[in-house]
Amino acid sequence: MANPISAQSGQSLAMPINRAEPHIMHIDLNSCFSTIEQQANPLIRNKPVAVAAYKHDRGVVLAASYEAKAMGIKLGTFVRDARQICPGIVVLMPDAAKYREAHKRFREVLLQYTSDVVPKSIDEFVINFEGSDALRQGRGLEVVGYEIKEQIKEHLGEYVTVNVGVGPNRFLAKLAAGLHKPDGLDVITHENLRDVLATVGLRDLPGINHRFEARLRAAGIGSPLDFFDADGKFLKNFVFYSKLGFYWQKRLHGWEVDNREFARKTIGHQYALQNKTSDRDELARLVMKLSEKVGRRLRHAGLQAGGLHLSIRFVKPGEAEHTEQYHPDLSWHEKGGFSGHRRYLYWQEGHKTPHPLYATQDIYVAAQRLLNKAVFADRVSQLSVTLYDLQPTNPEQLGLFEEQTLRQKRLATAADAANDRYGDFTVVPAIMANMHKVILDRVAFGGIRDL
Amino acid sequence: MRELINEEVSVVSYFSARKRLSLPHIVSWRNREYAVGKIGFHHTIRDGDILHHIYELVDGEEHLWMRLNLDTSNLHWKLEAISDGESD
Repeated sequence: MANPISAQSGQSLAMPINRAEPHIMHIDLNSCFSTIEQQANPLIRNKPVAVAAYKHDRGVVLAASYEAKAMGIKLGTFVRDARQICPGIVVLMPDAAKYREAHKRFREVLLQYTSDVVPKSIDEFVINFEGSDALRQGRGLEVVGYEIKEQIKEHLGEYVTVNVGVGPNRFLAKLAAGLHKPDGLDVITHENLRDVLATVGLRDLPGINHRFEARLRAAGIGSPLDFFDADGKFLKNFVFYSKLGFYWQKRLHGWEVDNREFARKTIGHQYALQNKTSDRDELARLVMKLSEKVGRRLRHAGLQAGGLHLSIRFVKPGEAEHTEQYHPDLSWHEKGGFSGHRRYLYWQEGHKTPHPLYATQDIYVAAQRLLNKAVFADRVSQLSVTLYDLQPTNPEQLGLFEEQTLRQKRLATAADAANDRYGDFTVVPAIMANMHKVILDRVAFGGIRDL
Repeated sequence: MRELINEEVSVVSYFSARKRLSLPHIVSWRNREYAVGKIGFHHTIRDGDILHHIYELVDGEEHLWMRLNLDTSNLHWKLEAISDGESD
């Protein structure tokens, strides 16, 4: 009997399975931050460990060890809740330098096999073995995968385990890597593809969140196998309402659609205030420090920005911050206004500047302007400064009328050089005096460009 | 429980030419000597021009975790933190 999902579209299932030998490997480090902490401290191995933004009750768990995950502690759990669930949990603050080093060693191991290694985040990589020595020598990627696991133990430590997935495209390799966590190794080929899809749920597919799952179910697609059998045109017209439908059909059949690199669009930095405040002078100093942080990253990347966005998150009036309660009356949002998310109230606004932003001073002035405009709903719990409309910078091409800008750029470059030599925040504007270490070194899960 | 110490300590270290590794061997802190057991992680950080080597290790009896910092500008060792591996 014809598949109703394909019959609705009036087309046959034309998409063939990619029968090529799998050559893509996806590797991710198990519970990255907490595993590295357990590697560094043998006394906390095999114990529930959480790496949290802060150790106080309202700190948020960034990574939980497998022992903690087994007790229900996961990303986003508040430290207070984690301690209630597991009174013996070891809570640690993140150590960004250590995680960067682990990422670097992880990458060095993989680069021994091929140069086509792409970091997808701090703890995951995609390796394309097409044309590699390993494949030329006829070594199967399963063997190579086990060898990499051993290499990683040698270079990062005996406690570090990784999940390895091999597939004909990036999507299936990632799916394979998630099949047997922790420390798994699975290969998806054209021969076992249907069998694998029969064992997982829709949400197990990388890229399918609860929203997409709901859409798929509403269209009569209740399992990955239904999804696999669905016609691309049906997916386009009745599920995704765009060419994404065709992309999904290709992905599921092992064809590559995810080998694109996207240009960097924004550089941002955020800071969660340990002591919530509505003191504008205090907030101005924090904005200055955030401006310096994003400014240094902007200049390091050889870019300048055409606009700046300031986001201010408030403590919700009259409520504890950890509640999940949703306020429908806070859900409106317009330029420069408030927006209500599930937990917090925000004020945010973006501003395109007449001249490109490059020096910290200019970034700060633009951010401070927005801060001055902001209406405070309550004490501020989080600030973020984001630069957008990024362009490569070339000070030499500026016109004579921009001599002032050129001077500021030279000053920023000189200050960066001094800070590189003598340590971050050695040369700072006066407003940042006595603020050393107020905004901590952090590393983002997905932020690998500045590592 | 992890406790911040930030005290200079005496350290005997050795360099293995065969392994091309330089590692702390004995740590002397508050009139007690600790033989270094397992080294969990070693990484470097930069404070401006100054390179610091950070060693996270446990003593030979595996009772105490230490975080040592070698400042390469003066070759001084500092014990930054200790832990017994229990929660705070």
